[in-house]
Amino acid sequence: MTFTIFLEQIINGLIIGSMYALIGSGIALVYGTMRVLNLAHGEFYMLGGYFVFFLAVTYGLPPFLAIPVAVVGTFFLGMLIQRMTIHYLLGKEGWMFSTIAATLGLSIVLQNAALLLFGEQFQSVPYYLDGMLEIAGIRIPYQRLLIFVVALGTIGVMTFVLKKTRLGWAIRATAQDRDAAAVVGIPAQRIYLITFGLAAALGAVAAAMLAPIYAINPWSGLPILLKGFVVVILGGLGSFPGAIAGGLLLGVVEAIGVQLTSSEWRDVIGFALMIAVIWWRPWGLFGKKA
Amino acid sequence: MFQPVKPAQWLMVVAAVAAMIAVPLVTRDSYLLHVLILAMIFGIFASAWNLVAGFAGLKTFGHHAFFGIGAYVSALISIKAGLSPWLTIWIGALAATVAGVFIGLPILRIKSMAHVAIVTLGFAEIVRIVISNLQSVTRGELGLWGIRPFEGFDLPGFGTIVFSPADKVPYYYLALVLLLLSVAAIALLMRSRIGLSIIAMRDAEDAAESLGVNLTRKKLQVFAISAFLVGIAGAFYAHYISILTPNAAVGADLMILVIAMALVGGLSTFAGPLVGALILTGLVELLRDLDQFRLLVYGAMIILIVMFLPKGLMTLGPMLKRRFTPSSSS
Repeated sequence: MTFTIFLEQIINGLIIGSMYALIGSGIALVYGTMRVLNLAHGEFYMLGGYFVFFLAVTYGLPPFLAIPVAVVGTFFLGMLIQRMTIHYLLGKEGWMFSTIAATLGLSIVLQNAALLLFGEQFQSVPYYLDGMLEIAGIRIPYQRLLIFVVALGTIGVMTFVLKKTRLGWAIRATAQDRDAAAVVGIPAQRIYLITFGLAAALGAVAAAMLAPIYAINPWSGLPILLKGFVVVILGGLGSFPGAIAGGLLLGVVEAIGVQLTSSEWRDVIGFALMIAVIWWRPWGLFGKKA
Repeated sequence: MFQPVKPAQWLMVVAAVAAMIAVPLVTRDSYLLHVLILAMIFGIFASAWNLVAGFAGLKTFGHHAFFGIGAYVSALISIKAGLSPWLTIWIGALAATVAGVFIGLPILRIKSMAHVAIVTLGFAEIVRIVISNLQSVTRGELGLWGIRPFEGFDLPGFGTIVFSPADKVPYYYLALVLLLLSVAAIALLMRSRIGLSIIAMRDAEDAAESLGVNLTRKKLQVFAISAFLVGIAGAFYAHYISILTPNAAVGADLMILVIAMALVGGLSTFAGPLVGALILTGLVELLRDLDQFRLLVYGAMIILIVMFLPKGLMTLGPMLKRRFTPSSSS
């Protein structure tokens, strides 16, 4: 293996890792704010993918229009589903487990509803950009470059929202201390609703960017959810910046691991890394010990 | 849980066991017996999961790993080494126990429920992918077939017992024996010192620890016993069904089904997982013609149960009784 190919794989790992980061940050946002482990997060990714598919392929909207509509649609769908289920469980006896169980149920329902409505065939979306970038023998398709740019942009916007806007302050205040936040007039329930919607929307952004590479089908959420879980364990569960770092790290480790073994072991490498981290630093590679 | 068993409860247990023993005497319908055998396998699985998730309060989502390990280890050893399934099911269960200790050690030090859920789920995925990828040994997704059935033996008074697909009765009684032993083991465990300690640590972890309950060791013991029981269930399943695929033996669907069973019946009760296993296995068969709705119904059931009946069907009786009996001045 030449050094160029190796470098190309690392860059590809970073690009896929940026998508893992988006997925992980959605899980981290929900967990960090409301302490809910969302097992249905992968299904928002899956539904976001179908949104994009129907808008861009079935109705032929241009991607730069179809993707924002799909992301906003998934945002509202996420809020609707949160309001109908998790909303009623939060704060009730045993809510830590009941919310996990409820999102497990949700995940199965959404998966099978998608199967009934959209069928089991694999759908795909054409590339948004054609052609390749070539620098010093390293070739990167523009499509993949676009993935990375959109991921960085989304993370940038989210960071700005969380750090610099009143909504972001409210989300972070609720995450730190719900009761203290309530004292200064922050409605926790509404914050939870919006946070859940934002996480779903993050999933939809990832789905939109990956739709041309990975096929969309009713089961495409589960593998993505598991990737997201590895990411949040690496980064420290509930930490937004940790999820970004964890995602990029997982992408690169997988790329190197696949070079050393073969692609069928890709998922095992990620999970093994996760278990090693749990042994060694349960609070995450980038988090602080609680 | 630590009150002495009331006579009425003993009567219920005896009646239930008698009814289970009587079924093959009444009907030899092999389809009905098959459904009941599956219900008993799932009954062991769900009870063992309940031991960890309900009684000990460790919410794991990866117990299907132990089912698959028990099934594949027992099946492979009986095929490759030519050993009797009567011996290999215990080896399979021990392998599941070792795996349980391996994954139990890191997660038991963690108090966060979310971490435990994620790591156990990830561990089960590793097991599934490894079984699926090691095609030269397990035949991967093609399925491991030709698994030996249990050898027959002579039982005084009954003649020769033969385990064959044609006659489900011997399997039925073997499954019943395993189920009764498992439930008895769990019941005895919960009434022992260990049982007291794990309930104490579930309900007040810090208090229990300050009184000198060694949390990690107790939890690990319970986790290992649970993995052993699930391993036995898996090993029996392998030699009963005689074909294994990674998805059927270690798929996430299996775990979903078992969690649904325990939740529907009632977490943290002895009878709940058994009742849930019977109801849901029956439901699977009823919905066989509507296969595309099957998982949809499970999912909806899990959501509805946690939202409206969080303690499961086993609490429905007392709840209705309270509502419809005029309350005395209490």
